[in-house]
Amino acid sequence: MKARSAFSIQRDVIFAIFVREMITRFSNYTLGNIWLVLEPLLMMVLFIVLFGARGRGAYGFVEAPVFIFAAFLPFRTLWTATMRQSASARGGTKGLLEYRQVRLFDVFMARTFIEGGLFVVIGVILGLGMMWLGYDPWPDDLLLTLGYCAVLWLFAASFGMLACMVGSIAKEIEKLVSMLTMPLMFLSAVFFPMTIVPQKYWVFLTWNPILHAMELIREGWMDNYTSPVADFYYLFGAMIICLAFSLSSYRLTWRRIVAK
Amino acid sequence: MIRFSNVSKYFPTRFGPKYVLKNLNLEIPDDRDIAILGTNGAGKSTLLRLVGGIDFPTEGKIVSDRFISWPLALASGLQSSLTGRENVRFICRIHGMKANRQTEEYVKEFSELGDSFELPVDSYSSGMKSKYSFAVSMGFDFDTYLMDEIMSVGDAGFKKKCENAIGNKRASANIILVSHNMDLLRRQCNAAILLAYGRADFYESVDQAIFRYQSL
Repeated sequence: MKARSAFSIQRDVIFAIFVREMITRFSNYTLGNIWLVLEPLLMMVLFIVLFGARGRGAYGFVEAPVFIFAAFLPFRTLWTATMRQSASARGGTKGLLEYRQVRLFDVFMARTFIEGGLFVVIGVILGLGMMWLGYDPWPDDLLLTLGYCAVLWLFAASFGMLACMVGSIAKEIEKLVSMLTMPLMFLSAVFFPMTIVPQKYWVFLTWNPILHAMELIREGWMDNYTSPVADFYYLFGAMIICLAFSLSSYRLTWRRIVAK
Repeated sequence: MIRFSNVSKYFPTRFGPKYVLKNLNLEIPDDRDIAILGTNGAGKSTLLRLVGGIDFPTEGKIVSDRFISWPLALASGLQSSLTGRENVRFICRIHGMKANRQTEEYVKEFSELGDSFELPVDSYSSGMKSKYSFAVSMGFDFDTYLMDEIMSVGDAGFKKKCENAIGNKRASANIILVSHNMDLLRRQCNAAILLAYGRADFYESVDQAIFRYQSL
């Protein structure tokens, strides 16, 4: 055996977990790994049809299906899925930690990469489908949109990691986090732009960093939408703080978590 | 050389810390095969996990310059929904091996699983699982192999094969073995560590350690 650098060990391990997660996540299903893409895809199609049929033209600045596409896709894959996968990383991967190369952090990284990849894949498939139906689904400012998406993605990953760490002390946190997902969908301006919310209610909603992410992504995606509340520095600051907390709590507790 | 300097390990319990090892100073020489003896709960597996680097001492340090295998126990670290081959691939990947094919075929042949090698691991019987995990570890060239009761399952022919395989590795590797089978320990090892009363003592002679263990 040959000694490897710490970096190349981590790269090998993350890749190995990546492949393993892809194989195992839906291995019991008849259609197998197709569900990896199919599950979020079906959900997206359902929401686009549901809201699109109901509120055609209601937003003024963009067609309803494109609006839902631009909001629900990042929320569903980059926030909910990434956060949940990180938060539950401790559960299904105990067996992995029998190998000294594999650390819990590698599981977080691999799962985060998978969700990021799924975001791109599902986005492209759905976008092509909508293009075929005669819509213009692509972001007007692609780089800016992807940048905002990346910040949301990092925020979700670090929030999930923090939830996982705190969950190792108090199991109740896991319950709390999964209870949070549903109301967050309404609190984060996923199905409506902030322009239709009366100004006096803004103060109740703008504490939520995800709302800022959704509004910023919307701004990048649609040139003729300007959010009245979006604040990039607030979102970025929340992400940095969350990341700092999750990384330091990981550093403090990981040895205790691996101990049997 | 695997060096324990001032190693203590305890588990927090409702009744306060339960010490498994306390201020252990020990050197495991490269050319010795070590038997680990102790009653149930004395900390044999914990000691193995500490050496394997998947658990950590509460105090003190364990230093080594050797490539140490993962602690081989029954079906440890195997993903039950993956096939035998896929599990081998995973282990190859985390060890940075690019040419997996050779190892896969070696494991398939050594484990005598035949077509079952392409089936999920949770369809294996416990005997098959032990054969399989033993074969996997033999597919890699470690300097030290950690084994936790792995050779006590399996049929007589396979046991013989295992002992031969270890014999072949002897030239370049040593083993640390946990077992309750005294004959096996006598055959395979030439030094022992006895865990008792929260202490760990190193014995140059296995027979002496076994005698002490049996009169505990």
